[in-house]
Amino acid sequence: MTTAAEPFESDEPFESDGPLDPDGTYESDESRGTVGPLDPFVHPALFYGDEREYLAGTVSFIREGLEAGDPVAVAVPGDNLALIRDGLGADAGAVRLMDMREAGRNPGRIIPGVLRAFADAQPAGRRVRIIGEPIWAGRSDTEYPACVQHEALINAAFTGRAVSILCPYDTRRLAPQVIADAYATHPVVIPAGSGPAAGSEAYAPDDVVARYNEPLPLLADMPAFTYDADSLSQARHVATDIAAQLGLTGVRLQDLALVTAELTTNSVVHGGGSGALRVWAEDGYVVCEVRDKGRLADPLAGRLPAPRDQRGGRGLLMVNLVADLVRVHTGTDGTTVRCWFAC
Amino acid sequence: MGIRYEAPSGVVSAAPALTVSPLTTRSGLRVAGEVGLATHHVWERALERAVREDGDVYHLELSAVTFIDVAGAGALAAAAQELGAGRRMVLDHPPHALRRVLDMFWPDLSTIEVSVS
Repeated sequence: MTTAAEPFESDEPFESDGPLDPDGTYESDESRGTVGPLDPFVHPALFYGDEREYLAGTVSFIREGLEAGDPVAVAVPGDNLALIRDGLGADAGAVRLMDMREAGRNPGRIIPGVLRAFADAQPAGRRVRIIGEPIWAGRSDTEYPACVQHEALINAAFTGRAVSILCPYDTRRLAPQVIADAYATHPVVIPAGSGPAAGSEAYAPDDVVARYNEPLPLLADMPAFTYDADSLSQARHVATDIAAQLGLTGVRLQDLALVTAELTTNSVVHGGGSGALRVWAEDGYVVCEVRDKGRLADPLAGRLPAPRDQRGGRGLLMVNLVADLVRVHTGTDGTTVRCWFAC
Repeated sequence: MGIRYEAPSGVVSAAPALTVSPLTTRSGLRVAGEVGLATHHVWERALERAVREDGDVYHLELSAVTFIDVAGAGALAAAAQELGAGRRMVLDHPPHALRRVLDMFWPDLSTIEVSVS
């Protein structure tokens, strides 16, 4: 099924013919997803049913941090951001406030571009506190698998760090399955009404990552451009020509060129040497998809900030930072990466 | 969807090339073509040359570079960080994609200056 390719390189996430695992999905890393009793990382879900419960849970979390002199950031949807800003009054100026609808539009961007970007910039020796609300009622069915995988992967991305990330969930407006998933992605939950925090027996972030590793079926008769090492440049031009016809312009078109170059080059170097590129329009977006025979072994690939002096390994990170949504399906048959760009 | 993939417009079928030639009036190189998997080695050789030079300012004239991928931008950032004390690189008319990637990952590189005048 897979084709021999260059040996796996440590700074790139793709591999072409790694060992199979029983689920045919991700290789598990036992150090990930399990939080030991001494782990300083704290990641509770906060359930809320109304504004009063929202403010009670979030503002107290922020004030505790401010009183301890800890850096605090809040990344929640704009309407909730306004609630928190009003609730904090004069203290709002001491908190980094971000609209998650913008900063976290692509869930794959939230860990590197919001959470780790803030936490890594703070002085050592201080607990960092962040409120992150990546899942709101307006998230589409297309976005949701990426959202819940992001929530699950926060645990691996912060293991061992003195960081607290509080994730509010609107129990009034989110589907029951979303709330059930929150129990699996958070080791601790705070019930609606700000009751005492309790450990979640359903906590199983690796299972969530695997369960939402959903196939990305093709629409019928979608034409493909197949590429290899000799046609990477043509692949990029095919993508930008079609995207331009579909209405993508300016910086977004340049971003699509960068993304296409990155994903197709990954196919050639780590994904079996070739792949298939498709570009189409969907609900106000241009969608760019690359399929190859590689296998994305590390679900954190493209989700961690790159140290400044690290030379390579920024390709998938760039993809997450510029696209409006990235969905990935990977398994023994190969990997599909699909990226959405708003027109 | 009504999309048919034909020969992409404006693309010659030959593999993309990257050419490098010395500037005649100042210290530096003129680079033309695109920086990608097939041409990284040419780009990195040009950057090694820039790092080895003596003058305070080294120009890379990039107006004829049509595309640079993330790895190419990374090689440039790495070279810029190897420059000796007091030295800097001036990028003349770099492609937008390069500026975008440099802003994204190396926003405070003091040894790279962008000139679009």
